[in-house]
Amino acid sequence: MAVFMQSLISGILIGGVYALIGIGLTLIFGVMRVINFAHGDILMVGMYLTYIIFTMLGIDPFVSVLITFPLMFLFGGFLQKVFINRVLNALAQNQILLTIGLGLIMSNTVMLIFTSDYKILTTSYSSSTIQVGGGVSVSTPLLISFLITSAITAALYWFLLKTDTGQAIRATAQDRDAAQLMGINVKRMSIIAFGLGAALAGTAGALISPTYYIFPQVGGVFTLKAFVITVLGGMGSVVGATLGGILIGVTESMSAVYVSSGWKDVIVFVLFLLVLLFKPSGLMGKSRT
Amino acid sequence: MDKTILKAIAILAVLGGLLAIPRFVDSPYALHMMILLFMSVMMGQSWNILGGYAGQHSVGHAAYFGVGAYTTMMLMHTKQIAPWIGVWAGIALVVVVALIIGSICFRLRGPYFVLASIAVAEILRLSAINLTTLTNGAEGILATELPPFKVGGAIITDFATKVPFYYIGLFLVVLTVGVTYLVQHSKLGYFFQAIREDQDAAHSLGISISLYKNIALVLSAVLTSLAGSFYGIYVGFVDPPTVLGLDVSVQIMLICIIGGMGTLWGPVLGSLVLVPLSEALRSNMITEALVKIGLVSPESKIGIFLKENLSHAHVLLYGILVVVVILFMPDGLMGFIKKLAKRRKQEAV
Repeated sequence: MAVFMQSLISGILIGGVYALIGIGLTLIFGVMRVINFAHGDILMVGMYLTYIIFTMLGIDPFVSVLITFPLMFLFGGFLQKVFINRVLNALAQNQILLTIGLGLIMSNTVMLIFTSDYKILTTSYSSSTIQVGGGVSVSTPLLISFLITSAITAALYWFLLKTDTGQAIRATAQDRDAAQLMGINVKRMSIIAFGLGAALAGTAGALISPTYYIFPQVGGVFTLKAFVITVLGGMGSVVGATLGGILIGVTESMSAVYVSSGWKDVIVFVLFLLVLLFKPSGLMGKSRT
Repeated sequence: MDKTILKAIAILAVLGGLLAIPRFVDSPYALHMMILLFMSVMMGQSWNILGGYAGQHSVGHAAYFGVGAYTTMMLMHTKQIAPWIGVWAGIALVVVVALIIGSICFRLRGPYFVLASIAVAEILRLSAINLTTLTNGAEGILATELPPFKVGGAIITDFATKVPFYYIGLFLVVLTVGVTYLVQHSKLGYFFQAIREDQDAAHSLGISISLYKNIALVLSAVLTSLAGSFYGIYVGFVDPPTVLGLDVSVQIMLICIIGGMGTLWGPVLGSLVLVPLSEALRSNMITEALVKIGLVSPESKIGIFLKENLSHAHVLLYGILVVVVILFMPDGLMGFIKKLAKRRKQEAV
């Protein structure tokens, strides 16, 4: 039972970070109908940014989120304005390829600068744990990152539901043409949405940097994970991505314990295919377009 | 009419030239480059049938490439079955895999199809890593000893040089381009294109969508698996990331996109651009050339940086190429050339 609780709790904690990645992807898809294949690479850029800030300025990775978030927002806005904006009406495969190309550029530029060596960001609490009782212990960095994730997610919900800009973004996601007719600047909303998506991915990268290896090709895994999460939750649904992230986190940690860590990703992909086949609109999705 | 005859003569002349090359060139490096080029054309052209003509943009073609490569190599390594027999096992297995993948993925459209195709290829890659008893896991399979090829007791070739590989590659290229030509000029090809242009309209005209999508997939998968088997035997080594990785799928797609999808010569053109370019980067030719012209001195900081790093940068170049092609010539090089030709004609009038 202790093992079960242990894997459930660590699954939920890592699921919080997955949720952040998924929400970013789903926001971008919702507003632009573009699947961002560079999502994991954006996360990787966030990781390296955190690494630089940590080694050069000595700022703790969890504090440096305050710097990473706005920087990644600008980076995302730039990507949208310069590249993605030009292919909004292009064929789906061209949009996909463009983002794949951008991802390749990011990961290989980072490789040229930092080489492909694995980097480790060691903090004083990297391997410390907190006893919860009942033989269950929680990794300290995972717990802190979960708390930060929850705060960011809550702030994001507030932003999307209560502020004018947030409502404009949701309107754009619902119907781009109608939103434009209502006087919403859809181009600016797209830039904000991509910026937010990139900022969330970058923040997720910052949050996992104390517990993950940092290397230029790390993004691929997270891109695939982000897809699984968003499809599971329903493309474009923020609530769905939150739930999907936690669900994938728990599935992963459960299958690592009860099946084997080598097969855990296979199980996640099989789950993904099953959802695509039997409920392609996802847990929270309403329509498929 | 004259035009088609001219075209046929040109193609025959090029083919004759290609057949004669090993007679006059004995540099193994030059033959190696040609073999890489053949492989690239095969990969791009096979994808073209499904992606270019039938409009199903699979980003999971590594699945077929890897299954072909692995089956041939596994049979050769563990059962000592010659690759020209093993390749048929690879084809049979790939047909089964393709039909399974088709039955899953073709229920989905657009982005969902793309994601499903990636997921299936990833499942195969992870399985190849985990099924260590069958595939030797992440270490891969090394099998460089090829049995001599005999016909009725007489040894035709013992694969000691690159020449037999050159001719096998050339034969396979002619085969893939030939199949694509036949597809393009048959009813089948028109059905594929109808599905690509408007699936619902094609369906309402009585074209069985799932049947023709599956035919396109099986054709494409079998040719891709041939390319994979050829790769395996030629290189003598396969492991999960190099034959089943997502990079392989992207590379297969790239050849076609850069050249021009849905055109017979697009993948050829794409390969003619991509293969020499990535080879030039990999072997540091560009840095040497820059030094020779005198643009960069070999002792300067930039010179040293380029020399050390440019060889790793060929993937970066892929990335930049994709972005440029998608933004400025979305129909690939073929589309770009056609556009230029059209403009010229208009100006002449």
